[in-house]
Amino acid sequence: MEAQGALALAIGLVGLGLWTVLVRRNLVWKLLGLNVAGGGAILFLVALAHREKAGPALEGVPGPHVDPLPQALVLTAIVIHFAVLALALVYVIFLSERRHTQDVRKLEETCPTRWPES
Amino acid sequence: MPYAVAGILTYLVLGVVGFVVRPGWLLGLLAVAAGAATLALWAPGFPPGLLLGETWGVAVGGDRVALVFWALALVLHLAVVLHERHRTGPFHPLLTLLVGTSLACAVSQDIFNFYVVLELVSLISFILVSYESEPKAVWASLKYLVLATAGMTFYLLGLGIVYVRTGTLGLALMAERVTQGDPVLVAGVGLLVAGLAAKSGLFVLGLWLPSAHGYAPTGVSAILSGLVVKLGVLGLARLAEVFPIEGLVLALGVVTGLGGLVYALWEWDIKLFLAHHTVSQLGYVLVGLGLGGEAAWGAVLYAAAHGLFKGLLFLSAGQAIYEVGERDLDRLRGKLSLPCALALAVGTWAIVGLPPLGGFVAKAVLADHSTAGWLAVLVVLSLGTAASFARLLPHFRSAGRGTRSRGFLLLELALLTMGVWGLVTFPGARDVGEWLKSLIVVAAGYGLHRLVHRQRVQLPALTLDRSFVLLLLGTLALVAVGLASWVLL
Amino acid sequence: MKVLGGLGIVGLVVLLVWLTWSCFPLGELPPWEEATAAWGSKNAVAAIVLGARLWDTLFEVLVYALAIAGVALAAGSLGTKAVLPPLPETPLLHLAVALLLGPIGVFGLYVAVSGHLGPGGGFPAGALVGSGLLLLALARGTRGLTPGWAGGAWETGKFAVTGAILLLGLGVLVLGARGEPVLVGLNVLIALEVALGAWVVLREFAHVRGEM
Repeated sequence: MEAQGALALAIGLVGLGLWTVLVRRNLVWKLLGLNVAGGGAILFLVALAHREKAGPALEGVPGPHVDPLPQALVLTAIVIHFAVLALALVYVIFLSERRHTQDVRKLEETCPTRWPES
Repeated sequence: MPYAVAGILTYLVLGVVGFVVRPGWLLGLLAVAAGAATLALWAPGFPPGLLLGETWGVAVGGDRVALVFWALALVLHLAVVLHERHRTGPFHPLLTLLVGTSLACAVSQDIFNFYVVLELVSLISFILVSYESEPKAVWASLKYLVLATAGMTFYLLGLGIVYVRTGTLGLALMAERVTQGDPVLVAGVGLLVAGLAAKSGLFVLGLWLPSAHGYAPTGVSAILSGLVVKLGVLGLARLAEVFPIEGLVLALGVVTGLGGLVYALWEWDIKLFLAHHTVSQLGYVLVGLGLGGEAAWGAVLYAAAHGLFKGLLFLSAGQAIYEVGERDLDRLRGKLSLPCALALAVGTWAIVGLPPLGGFVAKAVLADHSTAGWLAVLVVLSLGTAASFARLLPHFRSAGRGTRSRGFLLLELALLTMGVWGLVTFPGARDVGEWLKSLIVVAAGYGLHRLVHRQRVQLPALTLDRSFVLLLLGTLALVAVGLASWVLL
Repeated sequence: MKVLGGLGIVGLVVLLVWLTWSCFPLGELPPWEEATAAWGSKNAVAAIVLGARLWDTLFEVLVYALAIAGVALAAGSLGTKAVLPPLPETPLLHLAVALLLGPIGVFGLYVAVSGHLGPGGGFPAGALVGSGLLLLALARGTRGLTPGWAGGAWETGKFAVTGAILLLGLGVLVLGARGEPVLVGLNVLIALEVALGAWVVLREFAHVRGEM
């Protein structure tokens, strides 16, 4: 039952993160939401690796084991999420220095679609 | 297989070394040479196999699709290195790493490996798009980042589901274990498709593409449009070999082709115009992939040809902006230097599909193997492309001499070589009827241009919030359509 | 527009919950003990990350290295703010740093070296050492620590380590190197790379803001 609980939590996190990206206008909030959604996807993989009453896939640990492959994939995915978030945050710093705003709509106005005069 | 792996690793090591040792462009040339040498070594191809062991190993395979992508990547890289030789700093190392990672993507046969490689490709793309620290470009890059990352979240969810249902990540083994009519698997594959679509900038899931490609530095636009967006499409092609997703791909293709076309028809910024056309031509490729069989091979050829001529178009557009100091199509008219106008003309020649260049051959192969109904869609797309490129006609009258970029010459030669190769290989392309048909389509496109070129239409801007909502709805639609087809069949 | 997006999210969540619920109970595991032992490891995850799926890990290392390079590039274009003094100079922080720094370093090394025997590995170890460095920078300021060392030197070091990881990967992938020393070497190099990367980012952010 633990796995189902974690799975529901994971899907809930994905939904919550995407919701934040959707409704917030501040870029920092949007990135936060994106990261929560990414965390949800990672938890989703971990939950799917779980088995009833299982221990870690280590030599010498008795009993049923969890599936080690998704756990290894998750390590990679975590680093990727971290890296992308770091880059995104430095862009936010850059934009707030140059454009003095973190509001998506105001940033959008700084590069409008032009219309030729003729 | 070891040759391909060694070639990719050499590429990556040379890229990393370039951060420390100058000049970067020379190391880029070295990398291209190493890549070409290893390509020659594995060129006969190798069957899909597991790297490093039977349990958990990563599947890689060298089929003819991978071959085409390697050749395209190496030619484009060489052209951009020659064109952007003056750049210092980490530009060339980043470019080398981007191309090296794309090579790894081309041989990947494993859905998780595909995820990692695609993430690296887009990470380098974010950095390169914002390389010149223009606020507009940084904002475009950030939009790209948000939408691509959201798309990849869906991809990870789909990956988890597919792994649970098949117990493997490698495509070859997956094909053996697929059970028909499993709703969970159908939904998982829908999520994978949505992630790849968002990553490769397809309508309506990945609307970041026009601004990111339009505001990136010139050489970067060429590589992004020519190579990087097609990696996501390559992922769709790999999935289509295992799962029955032809319907989804065809639907995406029609929407993408028409959407890109409509935006391109009323765009006056030259680089944004080309970027919208990248989207419309992706639709062409997707329709071919969805049709399957030899049409899919035609689509892969078209992807390669498009990489070559779109690279040429972007490089010449960048040169034009550099020479005149304007981005607006109307204001560039009659001010371009001769080499620049010539390169623009050759690129246009190829994209509208006139013989004997590479674009024509790929379109002919694609048209030869498609059914009548889908042929009509392809013709409509070609017609629209010709009509919108007719606006460039006045630009081919040049204002005099100028510097000639070696990158132009290389890409022009590559297009011609591909065209000649195609004419020799495919009997269908030598057919006089095909030549006539392409002429008629282009002429009709010109007529359409005369009809609509005075119309002014304001299309909704592709803002971040709007694109994100469309990404969510597009994903839901892809999953729901998959499930609906399962319920009905 | 937002209402539609909200409906999209709700729809996706409902579909996902409904579909994944039917996945349970999950299937049997394929055997993993032999494949793990073949890599000279006791920890199946380490055998996958540093062995069977090293191909992925190499790209992951590059993702990290390039994200750091991208941060340095973007931060470099922002210029420097006036130098602020290091944040509150309490003796408590200084003392804590002096006491903790040694144990943090040793523990990081332990986590890296024993990663193939139990929980641990290069990335957690690097993150540990990196947070130790963060503590150090908080207490003494980044510039006071390494006055003679330019930012470029650190980045060069990081790329050298990244290159070494790629070359070791070449050895495993093409030449077929196997065994415990390879795993330990990879773990230590990855830990070094992560810690160096964390330090470079720390310096860059301190540079943009003036100080920590």
